[in-house]
Amino acid sequence: MSTDGGPDVLRVLDFGRVAPLRSQTLWHAIAAGVATGVSPTLSFLRPAEPYVCIGYHRRLDEIDVAECERRNLPVYRRMVGGGPVYLDDGQLFFQITVPASSLPPMRTTALRRLLAPVVTAFRDCGIDAELDDAGEIVVGDRKVCGHGAGQLGDAVVVVGNLIERFDHDAATAVLHAPSAVARAELLRMMRRYVAPTDVDADSFREAAVRAYGSALALRPRWGALTAVEQERLADFDRRFADPEWVRGPDRPGPKHWQVKIRAGVSVLAVNDGSSTIVASMIDGRIGRAVVSDPNLDGRTPAVGDALAGRSIGDLGDALAPFGPAGHRVADALVGAARSLP
Amino acid sequence: MSDHRLEIEGYRIATDRAYHPDTHVWVERLAGGTVRLGLDPLGLETMGTLAQLALAAAGTVVERGEPFGTLEAEKFVGPLESPLSGSVVAVNDAVVDEPRFVHDDPLAAWLVELAPADLDAEASALVAGDDIAAWFAAKVADYRLKGVLAE
Repeated sequence: MSTDGGPDVLRVLDFGRVAPLRSQTLWHAIAAGVATGVSPTLSFLRPAEPYVCIGYHRRLDEIDVAECERRNLPVYRRMVGGGPVYLDDGQLFFQITVPASSLPPMRTTALRRLLAPVVTAFRDCGIDAELDDAGEIVVGDRKVCGHGAGQLGDAVVVVGNLIERFDHDAATAVLHAPSAVARAELLRMMRRYVAPTDVDADSFREAAVRAYGSALALRPRWGALTAVEQERLADFDRRFADPEWVRGPDRPGPKHWQVKIRAGVSVLAVNDGSSTIVASMIDGRIGRAVVSDPNLDGRTPAVGDALAGRSIGDLGDALAPFGPAGHRVADALVGAARSLP
Repeated sequence: MSDHRLEIEGYRIATDRAYHPDTHVWVERLAGGTVRLGLDPLGLETMGTLAQLALAAAGTVVERGEPFGTLEAEKFVGPLESPLSGSVVAVNDAVVDEPRFVHDDPLAAWLVELAPADLDAEASALVAGDDIAAWFAAKVADYRLKGVLAE
């Protein structure tokens, strides 16, 4: 425990550029350490090579595994939440790990408490970031920092990233999409709502250390992994490289294909047997909809136009002029939109 | 079941079962000696909107205090701690498929059915019977005092 740091200390670790597997297993090992009494820890790392990572509960088939293989991208499953994501060396990842007992019981409150210092760090670097009501770190309406969280034993870890460069094409290509239309809309929305930030990574890291130290009332002190964490690292290396772990347990599939870009922004696809609809949803309204339905006799562009900008509650009225086929499209979209998480 | 339900501080709670005082997991005894586990509405509120649930498969042996599943809300994954030791004998697949069912009626939406290993001994750590109303009201008051719950 000599590298622990002691009481009232925020241990700070920067692993620099690490192999994709280690960019996941290192902070899981830290969580195992903090769960057994090691000081709260703020850690940083950057994956040396690109890869794909999927959230703990998510189905592997949300990823286009064949495309990942074609691109030589490893796929790993993390033990915190969120969806499948593409990671590369254009992203600096941070992890804040604290004892679960130090957090309020309300999860949204706990999460906001652990994300707020990141906003402070962005602002110290001159970026007008904010933590919005949905818990996303944004500049304007664009997400600038992805995050996920989890309780691992008696430690809670929140992970996030500074996006210096973002390969929207690769981030889209590694996801399963049911059609070229769906993939194109996904890419369009990804470009629109996920943005890199022009911040020097060293400055951001230093600002984050200051902000977390202040917010948690702890003294930042550079440290290293403990012996116990080193042992657990080896365990996590084995587990995360196991194809069975990556595959995950059998989980119920979604009724409709959908990808969440950021809170309130999703792309979904519905096929009700007659109609195929790809739509982007922005805060409960249709962004863009592409409809295919032989019963609409060439009126599908007009249906798409009628849907754009409409709220879910208005779809029936919007498509009433298109008769039964229009009603069917509206019903299918309403059902799918209501199933969005 | 409705005869056993009370409204306390705006929450519906049932008196026909026991509750773990910290994790808010409820324990309902069934006729055959098994128990069902679920989440009380206060615990559920602290977790946020459930997006994912994963529950231990039938046949899994769990120890008291160890997870019988995991849940995800707000991209936050956390354990569901079992208030009792025992073997999982059934899983409510409906709530795994549709976690929102738990929000619809947390007292009806059981998660797993357990064959307890030592119910009489372990049940003493749970809140039951006439103690439920006072415990629950105190818990709500404490959470409100700490700003955990929105008024």
